[in-house]
Amino acid sequence: MSSILFIALPLLFGFITPLLNKLSKNAVVYASTLMQVFLLYLVFTLLSQNTPHIEIISIAPPLGISFVLNATALFFVALFTFLMTLFSLYYLSHRKTNAYKNETKFFILLNMLLAASIGLVLSSDIFNIYVFFEIAGISAYILSAYEKTPSALEAGLKYLITGAVASVFLVFAIALIYINLGSLNLALIAESFGTLSYNLKLLIAILLLIGFGFKVEIFPLNFWVVDVYQGSSTLINALFSSIVVKAYLFVFFHIVYLFLQSADFSLFLVYLGAASMLIAEIVGLSQTNLKRLFAYSSLGQVALIFTAFALQNAEAIQAALFIVFAHSLAKMTIFLALSKIESVHKSVNAQTLKEFNSPFLRAVMLIAMLSLLGIPLFAGFVGKFLLLKSLVTGGLLGVLALIVLASLLEAVYYFKLAGFMFSKGEKKEPMKIDFTQKLVFSLLAFLLVVVGLAPFLISGFLLEASSVMLEASSYITNLVGAQ
Amino acid sequence: MFEYLNQSEVIRSIVTVGSMALFFVGLFGLLSQKHFIKIFISIAIMESAVFLFFIGNVFERDFTAPIMGEGYTNVAQMNDPIPHAMILTAIVIGMAVMALGVSMAIEYYKLTKNTDIDKMNEMRH
Repeated sequence: MSSILFIALPLLFGFITPLLNKLSKNAVVYASTLMQVFLLYLVFTLLSQNTPHIEIISIAPPLGISFVLNATALFFVALFTFLMTLFSLYYLSHRKTNAYKNETKFFILLNMLLAASIGLVLSSDIFNIYVFFEIAGISAYILSAYEKTPSALEAGLKYLITGAVASVFLVFAIALIYINLGSLNLALIAESFGTLSYNLKLLIAILLLIGFGFKVEIFPLNFWVVDVYQGSSTLINALFSSIVVKAYLFVFFHIVYLFLQSADFSLFLVYLGAASMLIAEIVGLSQTNLKRLFAYSSLGQVALIFTAFALQNAEAIQAALFIVFAHSLAKMTIFLALSKIESVHKSVNAQTLKEFNSPFLRAVMLIAMLSLLGIPLFAGFVGKFLLLKSLVTGGLLGVLALIVLASLLEAVYYFKLAGFMFSKGEKKEPMKIDFTQKLVFSLLAFLLVVVGLAPFLISGFLLEASSVMLEASSYITNLVGAQ
Repeated sequence: MFEYLNQSEVIRSIVTVGSMALFFVGLFGLLSQKHFIKIFISIAIMESAVFLFFIGNVFERDFTAPIMGEGYTNVAQMNDPIPHAMILTAIVIGMAVMALGVSMAIEYYKLTKNTDIDKMNEMRH
């Protein structure tokens, strides 16, 4: 029963927020954080079970909704809940100086975003996936336009238009699937998908690739991403980069593993991912605006995860999950730190990066950047290493070369940034970082270092998660058996 | 001639051809128009085309609406209710997205007096 709570509680919270707001303005903020801490507690109880993680919830046919919580889903649920809780904790102290207007709405959107991201991961029904796809989308559009400045509205509009087009293609794919197979359940679709004609399969694959391609930020459908990152507020970017896109990535590859498995298609996806990474890093090199730079870095890393998932073997998926973990934590750290700098210095650019005076924040940002680069002893290294290893075993040396080249380009601009941060020059007065924020930053940096030093702490669980994700047949039997 | 048209398969083919034509009208509008509202209209046309395609292709002639009640008792002769439920959901979602988009476009217009998507470049200042 617990897996439904991950979706139900944040959704329910969204609906009772206006009532809570009547009590007191702070009630919403604290209740939402408490609810997220409770979800985190649920995650820990699930993670501490020694039995294989599998939980299937089917609601009887008139509704016909089913959710599957297996090890892979649990990994993503744990990651999203953890990061959202840290985000809320950070916001608790951020709001003392820089509160958003109308916090009630803000918290409704945050919880909707959490519910929808978790829903995307848990759903085993393609129409539910569409509904959560849209809920996550709509909350993200509003969050990105939240400040109602011209650039925020431009970001929101661009996000909304691309999102609406993506959803049209997704509905088209769902319609074709339902017309030809008469089912919406992922397991039932996967069982009979092979009976379709080649052309129809190709059409459905293309439609799904376009529909999800916008959302997983893959070239050439990622033209909007950088503007959205630049226009939205820095704090919100932390969520986009570490939660939303990861949920879409998982769902896309979940569907690919279940019924679009073919050697040609996966090779195409591998090259698409590697090419997107290279293009993102090349364009990223010439950027001067910090938010744009980190947006390009996000594009590159997401494309790297895309490549790793597309390789479709257990080792590569384990690598992908490691990179998801490291990238989510690192980008959360960096965007929260940038938002801290922005809240003190009123702007964030190369100049403020030179001037801000806080050795603590500087160290934390450096750890996150080194982890993103994949320097040994940091969490990012483990994922990249495993991925390169599986590329060598798979004999895909061309892809390996593309990824190494892209990583080198990424290193160039990260070292440039680190140079700004540690350059000598006039510093402003010391920055005050209060206890909650220090706690959040230390926890993120600590995890990045600890997982880098001792990857075996989570690699067992990630291996279980990756083999579960790869085994479509057991997913199908479990789900069909439950109905 | 009209007898020939009145068969499930023929109706489905007509709906498929028509809805695909509509889809490409919407796609053309999306790619060629610059005004926000026209872009939203194009997306709405694409959406409607997909909905029409879906409903038209699960339609069976002589089948009744999937409602239990007076005169509607033969379950085997009812149209499949799931596509209708799905399309209703999708229409509601689509309308919500459109409303949100139009309201954002209005806010944006109030601040910048701009309705052209190509001239939307707050980021390049």
